[in-house]
Amino acid sequence: MISRLRYMFRETGESIRRNPTLSVASVITAAVSLLIFGLTLIIQHGFDNLLSQWEGGVEMIVYVNSGAGEEQRLVIEDALGQQQGVTIEAWSYCDVACSLADADRLFAGDPVTRAQLTELNIPTQYKVVPLDATQVEILRGLRDRYLELPNVYSVQLAEEQLDLISKLQGFVSTYTTGLWIALMIAASLLIWNTIRTAMFARRREIEVMKLVGATDWFIRLPFMLEGLLQGVAGGAVASVAMWFINGRWTAGVETFPANSGMTALVVVDGYEWRVGLIVVLFGALIGTIGSGTAASKFLDV
Amino acid sequence: MIRLENVTKRYSTDVVALDGVSFDVPKGEFVFLVGPSGSGKSTLLRLINRQERPEEGSVFVAGRDIVDMSSNQIPQLRRNIGNVFQDYKLLLNKTVFENVAFALEVIGKPQHVISQQVPAVIDLVGLSGKEDRFPHQLSGGEQQRVSIARAFVNRPLILVADEPTGNLDPGTGEGIMRLLDRINGTGTTVVMATHDRRIVDAMRRRVVQLDRGVIVRDQERGVYQ
Repeated sequence: MISRLRYMFRETGESIRRNPTLSVASVITAAVSLLIFGLTLIIQHGFDNLLSQWEGGVEMIVYVNSGAGEEQRLVIEDALGQQQGVTIEAWSYCDVACSLADADRLFAGDPVTRAQLTELNIPTQYKVVPLDATQVEILRGLRDRYLELPNVYSVQLAEEQLDLISKLQGFVSTYTTGLWIALMIAASLLIWNTIRTAMFARRREIEVMKLVGATDWFIRLPFMLEGLLQGVAGGAVASVAMWFINGRWTAGVETFPANSGMTALVVVDGYEWRVGLIVVLFGALIGTIGSGTAASKFLDV
Repeated sequence: MIRLENVTKRYSTDVVALDGVSFDVPKGEFVFLVGPSGSGKSTLLRLINRQERPEEGSVFVAGRDIVDMSSNQIPQLRRNIGNVFQDYKLLLNKTVFENVAFALEVIGKPQHVISQQVPAVIDLVGLSGKEDRFPHQLSGGEQQRVSIARAFVNRPLILVADEPTGNLDPGTGEGIMRLLDRINGTGTTVVMATHDRRIVDAMRRRVVQLDRGVIVRDQERGVYQ
């Protein structure tokens, strides 16, 4: 077993050394495609942060003054209750802890503003799910009515930001997804071609190996390992680049005005580390697929 | 050890390499395959180590029909068959030792077996002291000796040689034949395709003559003709 492993790693190393240009080209192509893949996931997560407060069909948020107690909130809840089953399907109260968690996401890119929000001053929220979200006029009427209630700080409708962000998210995700899929195929094909070239360069060795009784897997494995390493290297480069870009973007968003609407479009919750790992694993996968198919197809050199 | 029953091999509808060939090689025998180019000698050798499959007939090696052998059983078959070629098929970036060791390494033999068997076989083929040389630093005869050492290092039951003296001068060729004879003396069955009349006549072993894919002569202690 040890001698087989030693052989496999030695042959893989030799193969990479024999054709460094093609190996580097494969790694770079894999890195670019994986970077776009990683950034797509990061951007999606950023949009999810931006839209998190509107999850679950919420179309209206009633912000309550921070000082309002339970009795004072009953007025608002009565008003919401009157509409339940008429225009409102459901509503829920987002207390101080819940509102602070929302703020963590919404102001992730604006730590200065976030720091000003505390348990004592953060407005709590009523999240309202309407019976029919397409009846915008009814929602606007409700908003106007609720704004007149005591202790209501403000009322926000999803239509004011949700539509625009959703469209933007759809546009960005469509094109970036298309781009990373195309580049991923290109990277896999380039790794495939690198392995084919490596196998052609070693066709005499492969012929001898087959004649002396080496199994196909024994012959294939060093080539597959080569492809795997190229994919992993591409993934590692992409991860480093992604963390760098994400860091620069996050730093840039901090300088945006608080009302720019972009402060939640950042990823600082550790998700970028998970994406980095996914990118490396994905690199390993495309490297293995590319090299594995080539090593199987061109074994009879 | 080797048996062919009504074997027909076609490369296309009008190119018939072997046509209904049947013959038997007992264990430990030395057989020359002779005949003009294109008579089917190399095809026959390629059928024995399962590089080719016949369209019709059966090929038995060590008692097993190898025609319908699954692809994952072929490596095991080939570990029992050593191959020697006219062009040696040595790996130019490997030394004598590495070329011979390669045959054991790729079938997963442990290092202690390699370091024991390789020097012994290098000594057997008369290349002791040249273990660290690369193929381009050796003569044609020496390169063929390395090729034989590689074929024999795993102590195969059968050794097939396709024109092993074809690229060598007569004197060197005789040396190679002495070596093959010595290997045959250890009990290894040797099947050798050749055009070399002088060698066949000198060895006086069994001669199977092919012509256009058909056996036209099978003679014990035969000559080239």
